[in-house]
Amino acid sequence: MYNAVVNELIGSLGLIKPELALLVTFVVVIIADLIFKNNKVNLGLSILGTIVSGIFLIGMSGTNTSAFANLIAVDPFSEFFKYLILISTLIVLVMSEFSEELHNRDVWMGEYYMLVLGMALGMFLLAGATNLIMIYLALETMSMSSYILSGYTKEIKRSSEASLKYVIFGSLSSGIMIYGMSILFGMTGSLDLYAIQSYLAANGFFQPAIFISGLMVIAGFAYKISAVPFHFWTPDVYEGSPITITAYLSVASKAAGFAVLVRFIKLTFFDAAGSSDESWIMMNSIPWDMVLAVLAVATMTLGNIVALWQSNVKRMLAYSSIAHAGYLLMGIVVMTNTGLMSILVYFFFYLLMNFGAFIVVMLFAHKIGSEEMDDYEGIGYQAPVLASLLTLFLVSLTGLPPTAGFIGKLVLFGAVLDSGWYWLAVIGVLNSVVSLYYYAKVVRNMWLRKVDNGKGTLKFSIQSQALVMVLGIPTLVFGLFFGPIMRWAEHSVRIFLGN
Amino acid sequence: MTALLVTLFLPLLGALLLLFFKSENKGLIKNTALGISLLTFVVSVFLMLGFNSNNPGFQFIYEAVWISAFDAGFRIGLDGMSLLLVMLTTFITPIAILSSFDSIKKREKEYYVMVLILQFAMTGVFVSLDLFLFYIFWELILIPMYFIIGIWGGKDRLYATVKFFLFTVVGSLFMLIAVVWLGYYAGSEILNLSNGFTTNYLVIKELHDRIPVDLQEWMFLAFALSFLIKVPLFPLHTWLPDAHTEAPTPGSVILAGVLLKMGTYGLIRFNIEIFPVASMNYSGIISTLAVVGIIYGALVAMVQTDIKRLVAYSSVSHLGFVVLGIFAMTAEGFQGAIIQMVNHGLSTGMLFLCVGMLYERRHTRLISEYGGIAKVMPNFAVMFAIAMFASVGLPGLNGFIGEFLTLKGAFDSKILGSYWYTIFGATGVIFAAVYLLWMYQRVMFGTVDNPANKNLPDLTSKEWAMLVPIVIFIVWIGIYPNTFLKISDASTKQLVNKIEMIKFNKPAYELPEIKPADKNIKK
Amino acid sequence: MNWYNIVFYLFALIVLVSAAGVVFSRKMMYAAFSLLFTFFGVAGLYVLLNADFIAVTQIMVYIGGILILIIFGVMLTSKFTDLEIKSGTTGTVQYVLAGISTIIVAAALIIMYLNVDWVQNPVPELESTVKPIGILLMTKYFLAFQVAAILLLLAFIGAAKIARRK
Repeated sequence: MYNAVVNELIGSLGLIKPELALLVTFVVVIIADLIFKNNKVNLGLSILGTIVSGIFLIGMSGTNTSAFANLIAVDPFSEFFKYLILISTLIVLVMSEFSEELHNRDVWMGEYYMLVLGMALGMFLLAGATNLIMIYLALETMSMSSYILSGYTKEIKRSSEASLKYVIFGSLSSGIMIYGMSILFGMTGSLDLYAIQSYLAANGFFQPAIFISGLMVIAGFAYKISAVPFHFWTPDVYEGSPITITAYLSVASKAAGFAVLVRFIKLTFFDAAGSSDESWIMMNSIPWDMVLAVLAVATMTLGNIVALWQSNVKRMLAYSSIAHAGYLLMGIVVMTNTGLMSILVYFFFYLLMNFGAFIVVMLFAHKIGSEEMDDYEGIGYQAPVLASLLTLFLVSLTGLPPTAGFIGKLVLFGAVLDSGWYWLAVIGVLNSVVSLYYYAKVVRNMWLRKVDNGKGTLKFSIQSQALVMVLGIPTLVFGLFFGPIMRWAEHSVRIFLGN
Repeated sequence: MTALLVTLFLPLLGALLLLFFKSENKGLIKNTALGISLLTFVVSVFLMLGFNSNNPGFQFIYEAVWISAFDAGFRIGLDGMSLLLVMLTTFITPIAILSSFDSIKKREKEYYVMVLILQFAMTGVFVSLDLFLFYIFWELILIPMYFIIGIWGGKDRLYATVKFFLFTVVGSLFMLIAVVWLGYYAGSEILNLSNGFTTNYLVIKELHDRIPVDLQEWMFLAFALSFLIKVPLFPLHTWLPDAHTEAPTPGSVILAGVLLKMGTYGLIRFNIEIFPVASMNYSGIISTLAVVGIIYGALVAMVQTDIKRLVAYSSVSHLGFVVLGIFAMTAEGFQGAIIQMVNHGLSTGMLFLCVGMLYERRHTRLISEYGGIAKVMPNFAVMFAIAMFASVGLPGLNGFIGEFLTLKGAFDSKILGSYWYTIFGATGVIFAAVYLLWMYQRVMFGTVDNPANKNLPDLTSKEWAMLVPIVIFIVWIGIYPNTFLKISDASTKQLVNKIEMIKFNKPAYELPEIKPADKNIKK
Repeated sequence: MNWYNIVFYLFALIVLVSAAGVVFSRKMMYAAFSLLFTFFGVAGLYVLLNADFIAVTQIMVYIGGILILIIFGVMLTSKFTDLEIKSGTTGTVQYVLAGISTIIVAAALIIMYLNVDWVQNPVPELESTVKPIGILLMTKYFLAFQVAAILLLLAFIGAAKIARRK
């Protein structure tokens, strides 16, 4: 009687091989941790699993379908984000190996790898989820891991504090989100995004209800991408978490949040059949683009202005990552495939430069014992290689040529201008100017203050410098030759639109 | 073409080469940097020899595919206007490097790397035939300049460098918006290219009559803001005195000599060429600001107590002439503007060198600290006088030619349509004479009151080597400017024709026919 | 007004009153006991909706499991039984602001509930929902079911990590 369904399930298993690889690794690490009690083994297995998952992902490139009775979509769009998540996960795993914070005071690292893998799995599912239940579960899987990870060094007070703050705000936003979902379900009688869309398209609706429920669901995602006004947790959590996790949250978890945000809006509120690549047709009179534009402006402006006053580099990067979320939101505002492409391109470059900056900050913290801007004075001459690379990352985050960040901004602003949102582009550019000031402050302290402070050079291991190089060289190269990334992103804007 | 590529990339290769030297090897580093910049100058002379001045278009064009998705290419080339400015760059840089030998005493390796990168970027700005490439070079300038002022500058260097950086970036980001907007508009609305985007300057400059006027005006303003900050035009000039005062001597020389010209060059190349109608509409406002700047700069220069600051304000005044000449939009105006850019580079550069020489000896720039220097350093007094008179605009020296042509251009301009610009602008010449001569008198003449000034050594051979080449060109342009005017003649006439065609429907000049075959061959 | 409605309002009243008790009581113990009634009332509402499985789960998991754990926790750490809960800053301004925003949200929700054309599924014959739920969990929502399992495992690992001393 259920043969057909079971067969479909078995067929679907083939479509989630990368996720299964992560899951198997997750389980294997749990067992290995019990047997070997050795961090190196855990790390090795985790990296191996991530790579295997990547190989499966490459093998599935171009798939554009849906699996498990429309619970998740396997399409180029989610594939792009999965690559981002995998790359981030790899970087975080390697970066953790260099972190003294984590290898200090008998912090047991076994759970760390399990939780990172669990989080990656949650993000993978989130990137493809097309069902409200699935979205909620994937989001919680990701959140649950990140709550624990952000308080991983719980012996440090600010780390526990960060974790607790994250949990409380996180539960609140999850609550709001699931409330919105239940209203949406009550109106349409379905959890499936495609079904919700067609039901909404076929029936007239009390518009404010759609608006309120949609807004509530979006609030849950906005929390993950730390968009204003759901950003309150960000600075404290970013400052309190181990820096590896801060970097992970600011890139990977943000990427997954954007993936689900884009997919939810596109699948639920836009006419699937009528939309072309140039413009998506909205189904009802709710100006989602304007809502998102307001969100984008508030996010980038607040992020940048508060970042101006920060004296701690880690905290400054936290606020600047809020600002970057604001820029990225502009890409959704325009509601075209070009806008979507610009988000993908920007995210890829953002991954490189943000991770780079965080790693250098971490390495500096090990040597000078501080993340304060004032303690960076003259560090350029004590550690020329790493300071040059940090300069490169900061220049790139500002969006100046010849770095990848410039190309990201260029494509993004290009898409915004192209669709006629001139005022938005102007605000975006003004924000970039503001951001220049605080990024330049770090550069100034590193190179222009205490030029001859007489302190000896700082020694860094070759491996740690190599890791930063691996991120730094592409940041520069993609600033001049970004064609491949553009093409890749162009192919990846296809969202599975239902059968 | 090869010569152009070499001129562009040689400094960059030099900078990379320097990275491999040991920091302790100061002599080798200095000499290598100087050698590379001299070699670049020699190569650029071949450019000048190979240039066909009858051809109004671009020569030595080199195109390479770079980013096909954007139709942004590595496109470079020269016309008469840019050739002169490239020559100015390659000429000033070795002199600036030579002057660094004594004035830069810390972190020499990093310094010379920065200067060479700066030269690469400056040359790049003048040869780019692609808006995207141009923007990249334009921004690239900031990085070495930021460090040169910030690390090797004076007491308040941090304030000055941050101010310089912020002013310039604000402007250039607006230019970026305009570049992207223009690229999309040209690519998708006008040309319907498959990728919907192009930044090819040679294509875009022919599209001016197909861009609606209101759009032209917005883009014009965005470009103009960026360029006018760089020039700098009153009231956007406030970064300049600080940057000049705090920069080390060679930094000031390059800043005054070349960097400011990027702004005026950009105005001609992009604002006038691409948005001629918008330029005409705004010519009155900008010319008025230019005249205000001429007078304001002169008046403020008069009350300065610091010699370097005085020279800095004189730059504001002199660049006003250039802007006035450009927005007169006549052949004399353009020619005058271009030759005045070169002049200002030479004479103000030389003034900064002279101030630097005084500073090296006395470690102060206050006018009141000096007096009677002419008795102690007679040779220096002569050289300083030449630089000063060139800057004043004494007939027979270069400054006169430039100022005369720009003022005449503004006088004859049908687009400005009023004599008042010229009349007020001309007062700037008189003011210049007043503040420069007064400064000279206070520093050089009188009795040697200050005992510290009694035993100052006269010019060293190194200093002679810096000043004499500049003097040669100052006199050359002053006596026989045609050598240089001829180079940019055809290009400016073509530009004027374009403007006259729009305004009066007939070209103003007849240009010789250029056969494709002899495009690059000198006649 | 038939019996169905009367029972519904009865349970709804229990839920509301006891939930208010959870929020407003200043003693940990009272709050925990109030929560018992809230859970119970919700379970009653589920029964009215023919959701027998959910109702039983609600009682078993929330009342039998979670609530008992909470009360145990409170009683074992004896300090907490009489502890007065104080919130940080509760001035008039905060009360007014909170009141206003509550009223706005409530008004928005009420307007929405009154205006929306809710999907009304036909009420099925009274029979056990356990089997259909089981089938759905193993077919249509298979993946979600498994992800929920992973989520719980992660929560378990996290709890172990937090509880461990070092």
